[in-house]
Amino acid sequence: MQQNHFEIFGLPVSYSIDRQALAQRYRELQQEFHPDRFAAKSEREQMLAMQYAAQINEANNTLKDPVARAAYLLKLAGVEINPEQTTADGEFLMQQMILRERLEEVREASDPEAELEDLASETAQLFKVQEQAFAQALEHSALEDAKSALLKLQFLAKLQRQIEELEEDLLD
Amino acid sequence: MALLQISEPGQTPEPHERKRAVGIDLGTTNSLVATVRSGSAEALPAEDGQAILPSAVRYTEQGVEVGYGARAAAGEDPYNTLISIKRLMGRGIADIKHFGEQLPYKFSEDNSGMPSIETVAGAVNPVQVSAEILKVLAERGAQSLGGPLDGAVITVPAYFDDAQRQATKDAAKLAGLKVLRLLNEPTAAAVAYGLDKADDGSDVDDKTIAVYDLGGGTFDISILRLSKGVFEVLSTGGDSALGGDDFDRAVAEWMAAEAGLGTDLDAGTQRKLLNAACAAKEALAAETSVAVAYGDWSAQLHRAKLAELLDPLITKTLRACKRALRDADLTADDVEEVVLVGGSTRTLRVREKVQEFFGREPHADIDPDQVVAIGAAIQADVLVGNKSREDLLLLDVIPLSLGIETMGGLTEKLIHRNTTIPVAKAQEFTTFKDGQTAMAIHVVQGERELVSDCRSLARFELRGIPPMVAGAAHIRVTYQVDADGLLSVTAMEKSSGVQAEITVKPSYGLEDSDITRMLQDSYANAEEDIAVRAQREAQVEAERTLEAMLVALQENGAELLSESELAELERAMEALRLAHNGGTAEEIRSRIDELNALSEPFAARRMDASIKRAMQGHSLDEFDKP
Repeated sequence: MQQNHFEIFGLPVSYSIDRQALAQRYRELQQEFHPDRFAAKSEREQMLAMQYAAQINEANNTLKDPVARAAYLLKLAGVEINPEQTTADGEFLMQQMILRERLEEVREASDPEAELEDLASETAQLFKVQEQAFAQALEHSALEDAKSALLKLQFLAKLQRQIEELEEDLLD
Repeated sequence: MALLQISEPGQTPEPHERKRAVGIDLGTTNSLVATVRSGSAEALPAEDGQAILPSAVRYTEQGVEVGYGARAAAGEDPYNTLISIKRLMGRGIADIKHFGEQLPYKFSEDNSGMPSIETVAGAVNPVQVSAEILKVLAERGAQSLGGPLDGAVITVPAYFDDAQRQATKDAAKLAGLKVLRLLNEPTAAAVAYGLDKADDGSDVDDKTIAVYDLGGGTFDISILRLSKGVFEVLSTGGDSALGGDDFDRAVAEWMAAEAGLGTDLDAGTQRKLLNAACAAKEALAAETSVAVAYGDWSAQLHRAKLAELLDPLITKTLRACKRALRDADLTADDVEEVVLVGGSTRTLRVREKVQEFFGREPHADIDPDQVVAIGAAIQADVLVGNKSREDLLLLDVIPLSLGIETMGGLTEKLIHRNTTIPVAKAQEFTTFKDGQTAMAIHVVQGERELVSDCRSLARFELRGIPPMVAGAAHIRVTYQVDADGLLSVTAMEKSSGVQAEITVKPSYGLEDSDITRMLQDSYANAEEDIAVRAQREAQVEAERTLEAMLVALQENGAELLSESELAELERAMEALRLAHNGGTAEEIRSRIDELNALSEPFAARRMDASIKRAMQGHSLDEFDKP
């Protein structure tokens, strides 16, 4: 059966997502299709169950991650992102460079933890802005704008990961 | 075994007889078997009343000895007495050099890339040694349950990679066990504590649990979430070469230094020091100080000194806890329950540090040595079909990322660690030479960027690619990880639809032919008739296949099959029944294959029907539009 990730969970195809409904439907479906439920069934059914359970997991992982979900929505709309592609928005890139410099200098700050927290909340704010831009562009089928927002989301997600890594280092 | 109950579709089947299923904790230091009887899970004791079976195997000219007797002989017969063999499961000869100094065995490499150990009874590999332990436990289970086992759940550290899991499954196969599932040890422990039920017996809504499992040779930390009967592993971490054995070693090294024994010790001395260290460590759970001695030397070991020796090791475990929490997007404050597993959590210092880290008192009511086997028994009871399906579902994650080697010896990750399994990922390759018909792929597991820092799992060769100009062939390779965490790979050339052939060469494992050969060897030793054994196994599989088919037909045979399809299936079932009563293993197997092939469309339709049913009530309007 060919279903897109949203259909699997009976959710509307849209960027904003009901996380609670997703989590609940995910568990219900795994209750139904996890290979453990087929331990006493025929080999063929065990194989099919494993494939479908894998599909459910893939769909869940894609939908619960904001960047993966955006990329998937664009793909459904017929736009594929090349992994090497980056944003061409000079202003945004400049802003990113400044944020990254601040990240590199966190260790020298008088209160590194507070500085890192500031950086994290600013990044989260920027992330939210791009999420809204993406959702709106997609809604109006402005696919180029949506793509541009997605590329920025990828940047910000990477920055968020680096902030988390540094946080871990500081805690050790 | 009772005769198979045969009933025609549409008739009510006889109530299924209760299946014989066990949970097995195949540990580094100790192993156990447990089962569910009259609704409660218990570890099964040997005739002498001991539930624990030391994971020690001694090879002598007379035969194989497993358990306490073997462990006791480790000091006097170190080369033929194999302990902590679990550390070598799924490992290559190069890994052994890592911790080889501590193991007194005589190693050689066999053609599978696995280390093999010289004993008086010939060379043995870790899979064979583990199979000896499993055989004893399976026999104990069969004795206690009054007949051959229908299946077993075997636990593995959550941290085990693909090669280690595969080696465990191979050992079970060698021991003649049907594996229902490889279950992560910490998950089993959480199941044993029944943390899914609140005190009043109602379902718990949502709860976060940390399972701290410090065994003899491995450390695991798992962060689980429980929600309405579903156990979800959020993250796992740990160290597959850190455990109570290292505690003993730290104490033994201190003793050797204090006693001025030097560092170049023979195997017997090492073993005696380790035994004395272990005894001292255990005594310090109750005493504040204990006398230790070796030869003429003696001294007092105080709790404070023990803490000083152990703290660096315990700190390592807490660092892994921190990482696992981070992977789950949580902090120590979010954890609502902490469960202690493994004999090494009896060490007082460990409890203190764990309590301090999580800020709450850990669960330790169930014997930490038995808790994993008990949880495995509960899950085995569900999987084998003795317990209703609504009870329990365990969602596991893959503990280490899977990747492939790319240009320059770098790893490209395909499936990231802590992804819920089962999972499948596809990847496309193309040829870079005109007329190229083959391609080599190297699959690795681990988090590091360099292939040489990761664990090599297997090398695949794709053959039979139709000759085309460079770049024209599109080969889609699919990596599938099943619910046991085991990888399988398939490949297809897209433009021609040609299924590319794959030859798998596990880096440190057995090929099917190796297992067959070892099985034959073990039959020869046991003087068992191989044909009789093979026939019995085929019969059991025939029964399982027929029963699954009967249940399926009853559920929706009439609805999903035409009369002629139904008639054909019934003919194939009848043929299998006939073969089952007196056919050779080969005849039975070929009838099973026939029935399976014939029922493929039925299986697919059943799956589609289930998916449709699951969608109902959740479909939104937009799906109903054409």
